Amino acid sequence: MAAAQIDTASASAYRSRAERRREVLERLIPVALLLPSLLFLAVFFALPALGLVSYSFLTQTPEGIVGLPVTLQHYQHFFGTPLYSRVLLTTLRISLATTAAAALLAYPVALVMSRSPAAIRRVITMIVIAPLIVSVVVRTYGWQLILGNGPTGILNWLLIATGIAKTPVRLLYTEGAVVVGSLHVFFPMMVLPLASALGKIDPRLEDAARTLGAGAWRVFRRITLPLSLPGLAVGCGLVFSLTAGSFVTPAILGGTGAQMLGMLVDQQILVVYDWPFGATVATVLVAIVLLVNIVSNWVLRRREPEPAR
Amino acid sequence: MNSRLSGPVAWLLALIAAATMIFILAPLVVTMVMSIGTSAFAAFPPRGFTLAWYAKVLADPEFQTSLVFSTTLALGATAGALFLGVPAAFALVRHEFPGRGAAAAALLSPLIFPVLITGVALLQMFALLNSNNTPFNMLIAHVLVTMPYVVRTVTASLILADVTLEDAARTLGAGRWRVFRRITVPQIAPGLAAGALFAFMVSFDNFPISLWLADAQHNPIPILIFQRVASVFDPSIAALSTLMIVFAMAIVVALERVMGLRQAVAI
Repeated sequence: MAAAQIDTASASAYRSRAERRREVLERLIPVALLLPSLLFLAVFFALPALGLVSYSFLTQTPEGIVGLPVTLQHYQHFFGTPLYSRVLLTTLRISLATTAAAALLAYPVALVMSRSPAAIRRVITMIVIAPLIVSVVVRTYGWQLILGNGPTGILNWLLIATGIAKTPVRLLYTEGAVVVGSLHVFFPMMVLPLASALGKIDPRLEDAARTLGAGAWRVFRRITLPLSLPGLAVGCGLVFSLTAGSFVTPAILGGTGAQMLGMLVDQQILVVYDWPFGATVATVLVAIVLLVNIVSNWVLRRREPEPAR
Repeated sequence: MNSRLSGPVAWLLALIAAATMIFILAPLVVTMVMSIGTSAFAAFPPRGFTLAWYAKVLADPEFQTSLVFSTTLALGATAGALFLGVPAAFALVRHEFPGRGAAAAALLSPLIFPVLITGVALLQMFALLNSNNTPFNMLIAHVLVTMPYVVRTVTASLILADVTLEDAARTLGAGRWRVFRRITVPQIAPGLAAGALFAFMVSFDNFPISLWLADAQHNPIPILIFQRVASVFDPSIAALSTLMIVFAMAIVVALERVMGLRQAVAI
């Protein structure tokens, strides 16, 4: 009997120790699961990114060795040279135009997508998303065929065949061409968040407004638009920052006619071998992207939609 | 169209949506049409019908080397992204711990950062470390850009999976690993497959990372196409591009079958 009592006492002591060990284990499991990926990101993402930013404040010797002294001259050079200011403005202009065009086209598509029978919705979703899986290089090549400047460019051929134009119009190597190409590449990034936001709107709100006599435009302006703002904010943030950071589309469709920051980074590092200045341009680009994301997050927080019922 | 969109406004919206669909498909269709013309320049309208450009692409040793390299690289990147991304997604969805939001943000941060700049930053680091092993450098870079997609897709499928089944199994005495292997994995298998397919394509299509790290012996297909767009004017690029489009469409169908395209993309 006494022996049995001692047994249960030691068993419960054992159990509590096991429980404590299990608790510690419980807390260690997510750490162990996350450690490899976070470590990988720290070594191959955060560290190189910081390294690149730090290069923009350093000096490169004629032999190509980057080191001290610390300087702001690359930023002065960037913002003080009209050529580079022009590239910066072109980048902002193209990104803004692409974002605006994407938002304008995405509303009809997202509305039809979220308010249609399942079959139509499925077809539209497939057509919107499928190009995401096709390489940007391939899609941009398609636009080069369409926008070709000669009479054999498809759009020019159409314009001449229908008598709208007598001679080929210059379409390729313009900012417009880059906007069209970027719009095509990043359109899904606008439509999908917008369609999600539209899908969450309580249909009774729009019905009520309509019953009370509001016209289609008024319903859109007073109900649909404000309630879809979170989706729009996400979409605009994505499209703007992706367009600003793009390389392939401006390189193929813009050329020297629409030089953007990404091409400048490429040129400074792979052609001129000016690492600090290339890093400076890269840092400016990253700053723009971060700023846009902060603004879009701020809009999102401010306009947090009430949970859909 | 249901009752919620009706009248002239609905027709206008439908018209704009239809025009947008044509806009989206146009460059893909045009590329396919151009790939079968007989003239030596990619000019519109195409004349005649030939598959000779496909034969030319397939027999091209440069293309063959690129295809093998791109495929190997994408398989390696997918494996790496799954190895790192699946446990991370599991921790984010199935565990409560301080800093979870920050960890999620960190894991998805490479998606927000301009990929082009990620590439330069890696080039700088590899140059500083004197790491001249191109395939290794590119593998690291491709794992980096594909991992966030795996995290996103697998997270989405873990959220959809039924937690009560896992709880039931644990109550019945199954250990953690056994629950994961017998209950969780079968439930999220579509998400894992979709994540893997998506990661493969993200790597296979990638341009802005490879731009910095590729060399002549290790030249992925998108880089090859980019170089040729500027230097070759016959329809063989259209044929090569069409092959890429057809392959991508096969993956699209697979993604739709496996998990649903919208869920797999998880935007």
